[in-house]
Amino acid sequence: MTDGTTTKISVCPASELPPGGMKLIEHEDMKIGVFNCDGTLLAIEDRCSHDDGPLAEGEFDAAACTIECPRHGSLFDLSTGRPKTLPAFAPVQTFATTVVDDTIVLEVP
Amino acid sequence: MATPEVVAEKESLAGINADYKEKFGFHDSESGYAYKAPKGLTREIVESISEYKDEPQWMRDFRLKSLEHFESRPTPKWGGDLDQIDFDDIHYFVRASEKNSRDWSEVPEDIKNTFDRLGIPEAERKFLSGVGAQYESEVVYHQVNEKLEAQGVIFTDMDTALREHEDLVREYWATIIPPNDNKLAALNSAVWSGGSFVYVPAGVKVEMPLQAYFRINTENMGQFERTLIICEEGADVHYIEGCTAPVYSTDSLHSAVVEICAKPSSRVRYTTVQNWSQNVFNLVTKRAVAHEKATMEWVDCNLGSKLTMKYPSIYLLGPEAHGEILSIAFAGQGQHQDAGGKIIHAAPRTSSSIFSKSISKDGGRSTYRGLLEVADGATETRSKVVCDALLLDEDSRSDTYPTIRIDENDADVGHEATVSKIGDEQLFYLQSRGLDEEEASKMIVNGFIEPVTKELPMEYAVELNRLIELQMEGSIG
Repeated sequence: MTDGTTTKISVCPASELPPGGMKLIEHEDMKIGVFNCDGTLLAIEDRCSHDDGPLAEGEFDAAACTIECPRHGSLFDLSTGRPKTLPAFAPVQTFATTVVDDTIVLEVP
Repeated sequence: MATPEVVAEKESLAGINADYKEKFGFHDSESGYAYKAPKGLTREIVESISEYKDEPQWMRDFRLKSLEHFESRPTPKWGGDLDQIDFDDIHYFVRASEKNSRDWSEVPEDIKNTFDRLGIPEAERKFLSGVGAQYESEVVYHQVNEKLEAQGVIFTDMDTALREHEDLVREYWATIIPPNDNKLAALNSAVWSGGSFVYVPAGVKVEMPLQAYFRINTENMGQFERTLIICEEGADVHYIEGCTAPVYSTDSLHSAVVEICAKPSSRVRYTTVQNWSQNVFNLVTKRAVAHEKATMEWVDCNLGSKLTMKYPSIYLLGPEAHGEILSIAFAGQGQHQDAGGKIIHAAPRTSSSIFSKSISKDGGRSTYRGLLEVADGATETRSKVVCDALLLDEDSRSDTYPTIRIDENDADVGHEATVSKIGDEQLFYLQSRGLDEEEASKMIVNGFIEPVTKELPMEYAVELNRLIELQMEGSIG
């Protein structure tokens, strides 16, 4: 579904992504990680800005709302996409998430 | 016939030209040691280091997680041959003394004598603002000028810093080099011990250098110090480190992590004179961040070790930040110096330079490995990379691996590289002025490295020249 500027993608029923969970989805040529940070749903591009490697399957800290790049250890803030540690210094893209009729919906540009 | 000045110089060198084994390569008895961990790296060893130091739980968790990273990462196959290292044949923690003193007279006699022989207390008296002396895994002596202390400067060993300034340490700890950055950083993060913690408050200029000296004494020893320097806005500090070890037939490992944060308009210079014995693997991760209008400088001199892999890096994160790396490597028989530097321009109007000088002789191998990156958004940047290699004979080797990545169209980036040999004409000219062949070669080599030595404080420049002259001994004919 497209509303002019963004496309809305259904991810999964909310019950399939419990607190501490992560779901990886593909949209066109982009991979996006959707995280449940102890009740808050957050989504980021599955690409470390340091060397373009996969990011979302790194160590996820639901309490701190961070993901650690499995390749070189950069820690990203899931709510802003900004790295909290080097070697990455550029932010990664984040996406708005909502729950509509018990389904997690992602807005991508 | 040599001039009187040359004869005097030659005579003054005669005493210095005692070989490494006598000057730096001696070793002390270990009979008075407080603790020596058995060889090998296990979860129990890591836990015992943390317990021994009575660390907070977060640090113990950090160490254990780092151990998992170390175990899960493959040994790098690029650079030098790391397969020679037997990680199970190393003592990961050795405590020589129970006490970290602020008075040389309280340092155990053997250890004090060692540092006396190395000239550390004398240097402290003459031209330093503070000194740290690490022997094996821990710092045995630390002192900082009282005036600086009154201005809020903290210069202490990392173990003490963790106890006395835990919040400050934790705020910056592993934010510049996370434990999973690379296998050796993970190893350091798991078993780190000692190193320096430097905090310079806003606006404070530390006029004279702070120095740390690292000494390995035990055979098959691993030294894993961890250094963190925080230089607040408008502050200025110069930190110098030196290192030596005894000559053994088996290998030791030195794997440090150094993190530096240069806040806006500050200046940090970090100078290393690395002179490990030729049975030491020297695998170090050094990284600095420079914020707006800050200046970060690495002066990195690598003379010793069996294999060095070290590429100090600077992330220019704020507009108008400036970074400089001066690297010198001397590779003699059986040595591989794989060194260089990395600069990442991540903000507009940043500038940088990398000057690398390497000398290879007697089959030694030197490698320049560097990265210059201009990231998207780093407009109007300027950078220059110069790599010069000098080969003194047919058996030696020099390689250059410069990587340049530019994501902005208006970057002004230059790269120059030269490889040269000492020319017969140069030697002939100098010999016609009264020097013999060896003296002439030394003079040419000293001229070659002069751009680096002129950046060192005089005492260190003299020492570096002497060390190179020592390495050059017998290289001709």
